[in-house]
Amino acid sequence: MDDRDLIVCRCEEVTLARLAETFASHGCSSREAKLRTRAGMGICGGRTCRPLIEQLTALHGGLEQDATLPLKVQQPVRPVTFGNWGASS
Amino acid sequence: MKPGRIREHPILGPLAASSAEIAFTFDGVSCSALPGESIAAALLAEGVRRLRDHEASGTPRGIYCNIGHCMECRVTVNDTIGVRACLTPVAEGMDVRSGRRLPAPFGHSPDEDQGRLERTER
Amino acid sequence: MSERFSADILVVGAGPAGLCAAAEAAQYGWKVTVLDEYMRPGGRLLGQLHQERGGNWWNGIQEAKRLADSATRAGVEVRTGVSVTGLEQASGVAEGWDVWTDSGRFRGRQLLLATGAAESAIPVPGWTLPGVMSIGAAQVMTNVQRVRVGNRGVVIGMSVLAMAILSELRLAGIEIAAVVLPPRHPLSGDASIPSQVFASLLRFAHLAPRPLFRMGARLVQPSVLRKLALAGYPKRGLKLMGTPLQLRRTALEIIGDGGVEGVRVADVQPNGSAIPGSERVVEADFVCIAGGLYPLVELAAVAGCPFRYIPQLGGHVPEHDERMRTPLPRLFVAGNITGVESAKVAIAQGRVAGLSMAMSMNEAYGSASVEGRRDSRGAELLDGENALRGTASLESTNVLRGAASFESENAFRGAAPLNEKYAARDGAPLEEKLQTALEAVKQARREALIQFQPGIVEVRQEMYAKSR
Repeated sequence: MDDRDLIVCRCEEVTLARLAETFASHGCSSREAKLRTRAGMGICGGRTCRPLIEQLTALHGGLEQDATLPLKVQQPVRPVTFGNWGASS
Repeated sequence: MKPGRIREHPILGPLAASSAEIAFTFDGVSCSALPGESIAAALLAEGVRRLRDHEASGTPRGIYCNIGHCMECRVTVNDTIGVRACLTPVAEGMDVRSGRRLPAPFGHSPDEDQGRLERTER
Repeated sequence: MSERFSADILVVGAGPAGLCAAAEAAQYGWKVTVLDEYMRPGGRLLGQLHQERGGNWWNGIQEAKRLADSATRAGVEVRTGVSVTGLEQASGVAEGWDVWTDSGRFRGRQLLLATGAAESAIPVPGWTLPGVMSIGAAQVMTNVQRVRVGNRGVVIGMSVLAMAILSELRLAGIEIAAVVLPPRHPLSGDASIPSQVFASLLRFAHLAPRPLFRMGARLVQPSVLRKLALAGYPKRGLKLMGTPLQLRRTALEIIGDGGVEGVRVADVQPNGSAIPGSERVVEADFVCIAGGLYPLVELAAVAGCPFRYIPQLGGHVPEHDERMRTPLPRLFVAGNITGVESAKVAIAQGRVAGLSMAMSMNEAYGSASVEGRRDSRGAELLDGENALRGTASLESTNVLRGAASFESENAFRGAAPLNEKYAARDGAPLEEKLQTALEAVKQARREALIQFQPGIVEVRQEMYAKSR
């Protein structure tokens, strides 16, 4: 199987090849991999691919499984239009 | 062959017989739904699986999780964007539209864009 | 702008845990609002349909209706179609939580997060094609929406969950050509290795002598698994309700132009390595991917709750004690967000959380007869800044307010006996009811015939012992 054919982050279409190459080049944390590739930063907020990114990070030796989530969760946790955001505050 | 609805079920019983079909359109095409059906379900019952194209790559997408988590099923409803078809019950006269690929500022693929950005970085 | 509270207690998630917690707390006179982004209450319970040990059917739609009706009768407001976008501790008034949604802001004194679990995927080349969905999606479409997901499908991923839902699809008359394993790549792990998949399925056979569970069919009985073992991984696979379970076949790629048209598969050795020349295409117009479930903790994260990583529970879970309290003041959790288990455990945990919240509401805001609180006290509580009414000793109240660690929570436990003061309508003291409810959780856990992961009893014991 060609890793370039395997999409990991559906929202941003980040492939396994791109993620593997990023981990290999930068030896990075999951957060850094996310910032470099945009995996986990799409509109679903990482809900679909977060476990996959964490799994990959662990495989590359970069994950501490502890009291904090490796990938930060930011509000809003559902997409909000600017119109609604202004109206509800 | 259009998959259709599960009208009979050995344990759940028959689908509530209802003559009250709800008319709506998808990309201008007339469709109908039963009361309480989500947009995604009503479209699937008609054999429509593609709900949008990926904004960058243009690849077709449909439901994935069906409970509002993955955002793949987002459609435009009566001019409101980003509505999850799996969570939204069909209402009479709804104008549902699928999203298309957007014009790309630089290249035609995320990798091309990424390539341009990286060359700029150096 | 008025600083009014929308409710005493806010609950996010109208699944079994959220609904039961709400119904319980409401019995003691508290105004409870439950928010859920789905169109109907019930959460993951809605799609469930299987036979239990005695032969009776567990019908998720009926169970969900029963729970939702109970909640409504108790005075709970259940708001469906409401998506929570964020939350924060309420500022400027007596303590509480602000929950932001696409239907405006809700403010409550206490908050229960019962958001359940999300499905974790196993990616397969071609999995973004229309027609590929999670196996949970197929369950909902079939049992809840009553729409056929397609004419002929393939399930990728052979877990107990997959087989349970396969049975439900077959029961509804949906044709599934095969259940195969996912392709071998860094993200599929053991799920792509026949010998590992078999070993994990066999774990359930060891719960014999009784049949493990019946999910609408002769599913995962020891006899089926014994046959699998004796047959030594037959290439053709063993059939479950007419669908071959192909332990020695893997999906390579989902193919199609514009939507699913088929799945390219290949045979594999028991250790997962491909057998050359065995590739073929299975025609299909839908594919279900069966990964696993993980607790959906995003709101606990934005609230600032600390976590524990516990693989047996599905991943990161919010720190909490047996009484469903998190280290954050007035923040509770219940159901699959605390760890993936069964609906019955979620129901039992919901009861605990409801009692726990009622007790701490009493502690902070005083107790009156249920009727009185509903009629007048309730309104006063929602309007007023003066939250301290007729409380027990200030000490215990301060403990509740300032508590960020479990140690001070222990002080709450040691406070003056609350029994007489906080009697419920039927006369039984709340503390006693809580003890019964805690026992019911353990009982539900013991009785759960499906444990998606072994070792749950142990990790729970350890987690709750640490939090004392």
